[in-house]
Amino acid sequence: MAAIITLSLLGILVLYLGLFKAKSALLPVTLIGLLVALGCELALWGGDAKPIYSGMVVFDNFALAFSILCIVTTGLILLLSKAYFSSISNNVAEYYCLILFSLTGALMVSAYHNFAMLFIGIEVMSVALYILVGIRKTDFGSNEAALKYFLMGAFSTGFLLFGITLLYGATGTFDITGVREYLIANPQQISPYFYGGVLLLLIGLCFKVGAAPFHFWTPDVYEGAPILITSYMSTVVKVASFAGFLRLFGYVFVPLHDFWPPVLLIVIIITLFIGNITAMMQASFKRMLAYSSISHAGYMLFAIVALGATSTSSIFTYAIAYSLSSVAAFAGLILVKRAKGSDQFVAFNGLGKTNPFLAFVITVAMLSLAGIPLTAGFIGKFMMFNTVMQDYHIVLLLLAVVNAAIGVFYYLRVVVHMYFKTAEDEGGAIVLPLSFKVVLATTVALTLLIGLYPDCIIGLL
Amino acid sequence: MTIFYFVAFLSIFFALMTIFTKNPVHSVLYLVITFFTFTVHYILLNAQFLAVVNFIVYMGAIMVLFLFVLMLLNLNKDIEPMRSNLVKIMGAVAGMCMLVTFLGAFKVIESNNEFVTGNSDVGLVKNLGKVLFDEFLLPFELSSILLLTAMVGAILLAKKETKEA
Repeated sequence: MAAIITLSLLGILVLYLGLFKAKSALLPVTLIGLLVALGCELALWGGDAKPIYSGMVVFDNFALAFSILCIVTTGLILLLSKAYFSSISNNVAEYYCLILFSLTGALMVSAYHNFAMLFIGIEVMSVALYILVGIRKTDFGSNEAALKYFLMGAFSTGFLLFGITLLYGATGTFDITGVREYLIANPQQISPYFYGGVLLLLIGLCFKVGAAPFHFWTPDVYEGAPILITSYMSTVVKVASFAGFLRLFGYVFVPLHDFWPPVLLIVIIITLFIGNITAMMQASFKRMLAYSSISHAGYMLFAIVALGATSTSSIFTYAIAYSLSSVAAFAGLILVKRAKGSDQFVAFNGLGKTNPFLAFVITVAMLSLAGIPLTAGFIGKFMMFNTVMQDYHIVLLLLAVVNAAIGVFYYLRVVVHMYFKTAEDEGGAIVLPLSFKVVLATTVALTLLIGLYPDCIIGLL
Repeated sequence: MTIFYFVAFLSIFFALMTIFTKNPVHSVLYLVITFFTFTVHYILLNAQFLAVVNFIVYMGAIMVLFLFVLMLLNLNKDIEPMRSNLVKIMGAVAGMCMLVTFLGAFKVIESNNEFVTGNSDVGLVKNLGKVLFDEFLLPFELSSILLLTAMVGAILLAKKETKEA
């Protein structure tokens, strides 16, 4: 709870700093605030977790782990923001403030213990993003993305709310433990409302994580948004939504385990195929990452369909691997786009010669996203497939392997462009600012570390 | 009960009119009437606070906003965006499937269970305040962040950029 309070106050403080034109203080203050919030979360680790504030939030290790991941990822992304925001507009303080508020929402979603908190958390997280996506006011693509995201988001919130209402109609409570106890107490006579509620909640959450067939907003929004916001959306927001998803289905709806997995199974298969096959046909690196994030949502849903003792830690490992490599990939994209003015694959030509360090980082990130051994992505995928194996979903596993193979193809394309093609025109040389170097080195080091010693993460949850 | 059926008929009728009129301004006006019938429903359910809020916020503020936007954009014409018939049919089939599912669920359920009839005084301002400031205090306080975010965003998007350098 201390972290949520810290972040909310930090957002307001940042607004005041903007008011008093203390622009150079913005980034340090924000980062210090994030560190304080991180400390608050770490202090709670391993304690006895009881729902607090009349059962509204619970800070168990599950919530803390995902919150910490969100905070760290946000910190890494903000380190990249130094020159980025001021090049877009003058009101830099508001951007930091909105990102911090969105992060507050993400923490609420990962720690909710009551549907009211889930709803408010998702709304805080999304409303800040609707604005951040449309922040480049003169850019047509950005406007379109913001409007699309807003309409789709509002629509999906409607589904979510209707689902919560139906669950309330069936159980008479908003408390998730109460709903779970209702399911355990009445295994035979579950109210018909309840099934409708579960399905509507599933639809609403699939919208939020961008799983097919509710993915239509994802590519356009990710492409239209500023790159930094895209990286925030595809990491922090996705991770938090999955934490909420897993808590709901892995804890509350478990007793109903013969009802919803078939639906989710179909969602997963469609998501994997649509994400991967469309990603293969993209010429733009940014759009490729957008489609690949759809397919990663599919992989992460694996752990929910095959619930077991390890599904929490496997989804957490996968989320870490995915966040780290996404941040690295987007950081590389920012640098390349700044130098070459384009986010097509062609812009990466010859990067292996002109800037070996950056090329190496992007290569590691791509290998990790594709799930090649020695990287964190491999461990994540391995654990996911392992959970599915334990449940004997052989067909699902085969389809997933086929998709992983497709993934390798398009992830390696950028590597081919970097090392085996030469740039035709020498655009501006890529300069690596210190903050970028720090972020790139950290993400690569962590990716390789988790790839080599996965036990340090797996043992946590 | 007869009042309920009459008002329910009116809300469905005007809701359908909202969809089927081609003129956007008429559509918004029908929506106003639909919201008004909702207000009547809330009063019938003894939910006074909701009725007042619905009346002031939805019927008053939001609808006026809608009308203003429509008039500013000068959409006061019969505009029907081109849609393929396939999409229309698919939408209708999917919507009907959902409707049938929910109607089935509502029919099966016994209408006198305690959550449906419930506490008839729960919608009074006094009881609502007690719940809001006791059990639901945390979400209530945190929704202030939601409002602040929306406010910051609205100003940020509406303000003219004054780029110095």
